Amino acid sequence: MDAIRADVRDQIHREARIAGLRDPKRATVRDVERRRFQLWVVAVVVLTSLCAVIAIASWSTSLAAAQWINPNVLRVAVVALAVGFGLYALEKEVHLHRLTELLSDERVVNSALSDRFEQLQSLIGATKAVNSVLELEEVLDVILCHTLEMLDGSEGSIMLLEGEDTLRAAAVRGSDLARHARVKLGESVAGKVARSRQPLLLTGEVRDRDFPGHERRERPVRSAMVMPLVNRGELLGVLNVNARSDHDFTDYDLHVLSLFAEPVAAAIANARLYEAERAHVAELLELDRMKTQFVASVSHELRTPLTSIRGAVAASRRTDDLIQRDELLDVVDRQSHRLHQMVEEMLQSAQMDANHNVPLLRSIDLAALVRLVALDSHVAGRPVKVEAPQVCEVRADPESMRRIVGNLIDNAHKYGAAPVRVVLDPDGDRVILSVVDSGPGVPAAERSRIFDRFYRADPTRNKPGLGLGLPIVRGLVDACGGSVWVEDAPGGGAAFRVALKSRVVEEQEVSVVR
Amino acid sequence: MSDKPKILIVDDEPDLLLTMRVILESEGFAPSLAADGETALRRIDEDRPDLVLLDIMMPVLDGWFVLAELAGRHERPYVIVCSAKSSPVDMTRAKDLGADEYVTKPFEPEYLVKVIRDTLHRTVRRVAAR
Repeated sequence: MDAIRADVRDQIHREARIAGLRDPKRATVRDVERRRFQLWVVAVVVLTSLCAVIAIASWSTSLAAAQWINPNVLRVAVVALAVGFGLYALEKEVHLHRLTELLSDERVVNSALSDRFEQLQSLIGATKAVNSVLELEEVLDVILCHTLEMLDGSEGSIMLLEGEDTLRAAAVRGSDLARHARVKLGESVAGKVARSRQPLLLTGEVRDRDFPGHERRERPVRSAMVMPLVNRGELLGVLNVNARSDHDFTDYDLHVLSLFAEPVAAAIANARLYEAERAHVAELLELDRMKTQFVASVSHELRTPLTSIRGAVAASRRTDDLIQRDELLDVVDRQSHRLHQMVEEMLQSAQMDANHNVPLLRSIDLAALVRLVALDSHVAGRPVKVEAPQVCEVRADPESMRRIVGNLIDNAHKYGAAPVRVVLDPDGDRVILSVVDSGPGVPAAERSRIFDRFYRADPTRNKPGLGLGLPIVRGLVDACGGSVWVEDAPGGGAAFRVALKSRVVEEQEVSVVR
Repeated sequence: MSDKPKILIVDDEPDLLLTMRVILESEGFAPSLAADGETALRRIDEDRPDLVLLDIMMPVLDGWFVLAELAGRHERPYVIVCSAKSSPVDMTRAKDLGADEYVTKPFEPEYLVKVIRDTLHRTVRRVAAR
């Protein structure tokens, strides 16, 4: 555009010089008109004068003047002069006319340049605006708002890539038609542009055979542009803009949109990063809060047995009754055992963190193991009913399994209610171990969190313990290659289930390897 | 009837109940025991103890409930809260509910005995704020 403008300016300069304008470098239409007026006034005066000379020459052939010039020669000379001046005036007029045309062209070029300048200015403004917000939803809205304003569009949408091959409308402006749009890569207009990563300018009706999967509209769009949004080689989505009904987009509009697409894609990528970072920070803050709570909980839980131990020692010094002293020694024994258990729990949890806990998996009889743990639990005042086949072999680490079953029974008594059942169900190539209580169950919202470390479902913290029981269960089950989850038990209560590979699977695996 | 000061020990830890009973008996008090808030309120009505050693975190009815219940009464025993909860928020809450003293676990038995004696010798009883 600038080259055209310079060329027109050169031509104007040249024509203005030939036409005899006073200042050829600053020729204006007014100058041209003034020059034309001057030219024709001079032409009229000159031609009139020459006509007068001819008339006088004809009238005075008999006069004395005729003695020093031949009247015929005079006539021819005057006519030649008149013709010559007429040609001169015509030639100037041709240049003036051309100059007028060139000035008009220059005005058109200037106007177009001014339009584009404004468009570029709004492009810069839009880029700034897009970069001034961080929330993804807000970023998308600002992008659409500025795109429509900049390109005089009537409606637009941004579709973002969801998963591997689906585009989903994430923001819409001007029309609700595309609000819930979803297309596969390669399908319809947006999908095709996303796959090819090439911007597209559409004018006129969209043909189905060119864009399979395209949905026809009641009122077809006259002109539209679809721009792929790519950041650092990664496809993020597409930007769609539809023109107003009285206006067609041009190649220049497509060029402007492609200039805009680059910062737009970067802004979307930044907004996503920001969202991910914010979620990460929230997660860390929550973890920090839970850790603080955990430290408070640990100190509280350690204080309780310590109080009993110190009290028992002080009390035994004050009594001579041997039976009472034995009872107080039992208190010290029980409470120090409790302290030991807590320390063990914390160590186990820390070891799981450091991946020190790699159990040796082998075939064990889970039914026998469960019966033994249930017996211990019964002795400790937590009765359990076992429903299991005579023998039930699984692939696991026996020490881990003892802890898993023990922790789940403890948990059932602490947070659920008696009666508590432990059920073993062989299920194809796996065995499901269920610990079922008769308590209120676990609310759906809590189910995924109760296995998290430091998380306590009991907000009043009236239940003793460090809150490490279930996280340890999950860590051990993971290490045994199984899975653990909680669900509502049929008939009420919570059912904690552990799925483990049965020994049959192990044998099958071995035979396949052989 | 014995003229020993009657002290009700309320705690859900049986071992702590046992040790406190031995210590308080050796110090010349007449202790009685309750393992939860509901039993504690019943025994306060029945035995009319002079002082209650009250734990906070207990099953059935917790220590907060017992404190709130006692705060509404015209006549009530002295209350010393013995809890592993050691935050200023809990201490303030207990005092607001009318607790006379707050002792955090673990405590020295001698210190607790001193606090019990000091409390029993008080002439002015703390009045609950509510």
